Amino acid sequence: MQHPTLQLPINRAEPLVMHIDLNSCFATVEQQARPLLRGKPLAITNRLTRNACVVAASIEAKVLGVKVGMTFADAKLLAPKLIMLETDPPKYHHVYQILVNIMRSYSPNVIMKSIDEGIINFSGTTAIINQRPLENIGYEIKKRLKDEVGCWMRCNIGIAPNRFLAKTAASLHKPDGLDTIDHTNLRKTLSQLQLTDLSGIAERNQARLNACGIYTPLQFLDAPADVLRRHVFKSVCGEDWYKRLRGYEVGDFESSVKTVGRQFVLDDMRPSEETLRSRLAYLCETTAMKLRYKGLCARGIYIYLLYAGGDSWYERRMFKSTFFSNSEVHRRATLLFNRRPRGDWVRMMAVSCYALEPSNMNQVSMLDEVNREVWLTRAVDEINNQFGEFTLTYASSLNAKSVVKQKIPFGSTRYFELLLNRA
Amino acid sequence: MENVVEINKDVNIVAYYFRQGAKRLRCFPKKMEWGGKSVVFTEQGLRHPTRKGARMIHVFDMTDGSADYRLEFDAEQLSWKLVYIADQAYGPMEPEYAASHLAAAH
Repeated sequence: MQHPTLQLPINRAEPLVMHIDLNSCFATVEQQARPLLRGKPLAITNRLTRNACVVAASIEAKVLGVKVGMTFADAKLLAPKLIMLETDPPKYHHVYQILVNIMRSYSPNVIMKSIDEGIINFSGTTAIINQRPLENIGYEIKKRLKDEVGCWMRCNIGIAPNRFLAKTAASLHKPDGLDTIDHTNLRKTLSQLQLTDLSGIAERNQARLNACGIYTPLQFLDAPADVLRRHVFKSVCGEDWYKRLRGYEVGDFESSVKTVGRQFVLDDMRPSEETLRSRLAYLCETTAMKLRYKGLCARGIYIYLLYAGGDSWYERRMFKSTFFSNSEVHRRATLLFNRRPRGDWVRMMAVSCYALEPSNMNQVSMLDEVNREVWLTRAVDEINNQFGEFTLTYASSLNAKSVVKQKIPFGSTRYFELLLNRA
Repeated sequence: MENVVEINKDVNIVAYYFRQGAKRLRCFPKKMEWGGKSVVFTEQGLRHPTRKGARMIHVFDMTDGSADYRLEFDAEQLSWKLVYIADQAYGPMEPEYAASHLAAAH
């Protein structure tokens, strides 16, 4: 049966979605914390080495051409006076908490998309808030952020009928902008943008659109749903874009955790067997911690290795019994790890657990050895919570602890609390 | 690269406490005595809490106008520690980074 062609007008609903984006979040927070860095080109990295990439750049550094994702060496070529700092997660978490508290004081419907950006949905909020224009609330949020964090903090705010247009509005006037997109100015706003200015359209999607004769966001808006679905994106994504550009909400659902894991690019170019096993033990330990933090246990485990020559190898296995303890994750990962091809240097390794289920740690087992494992895990976790993570740890992973650092998570904030315990 | 000198030593601090409306008491470490010198802080950058195991530590990023100082207040032991001094060899703010220039660039 042929799919009926979707025809929707531009959404004329009142714009009630507010997108808040902290400008150059980590760099701005560092400049807030250390007044002498204000007005200086500053970049934040996860590791202070030449090849580490910039995870955030201050506005001053961006003016000089420094971009997120660039290596430190490249950034330094563009801006010789660039100051590079290592990430400081507790600081960012503090600002994140303040931002979340401010946002929740306006509406219970708050979604944090990442550490530095979130969405407030004002639909269904109380009359005392709804009777005020959202622009006023936006300016109030900016002021509260300055009052509660510090005078250097700035944020972009976008208001629109859906999340996509709200994010687009927030990126119109950086830094410290506040813009609204609704049915009255949608065409005018899109006419001033390029395709790659739209969130989700990078070089490849741009090439797809160009191949079908779509070169501007306005042409994208005017393209029929059928063309987008059948010819441009060749999937349901085309219809999603059709709706998104017209101000309708798409993909408004919560996804569940499917895998839990860690990966690490080795610090040693020619790692010995001992080094590899130490890093593996550490990755298994932190993966198991994540599992227990989320109240899950797993049945499957997956190991991935990337070799210096560019080849990769992976193996996964499902087990009959579930597991959640450090020792069990390590034991099962080692089973797979021992089967790896040898002959080239390992550059990167990853451990993931899948087939996740709610944890059965609270269920007393009929098997005594299972109970003993649960009690031991619980006791170790309690000691580590009391005296700091890795107070009790594997001897084999001891030297990895100082090398493998937990990185600041960019997208999700699911493990933020756990990360802070370790920071 | 900046010049960070790690100290990690207990120091004596004279702190002011302020109340702002219904908010909790706010602390401003005003003066620090360490190694026979005294430093008068002029501005607080950020105060944020962090944990060391079950202990609550309040981290203060302070400046005296010529260097940045990181102080830690242990809420259990009630002790102050100077973590590092970032001795700024950054130099004065350059005109291309001034707010007016940045606004024009955008």
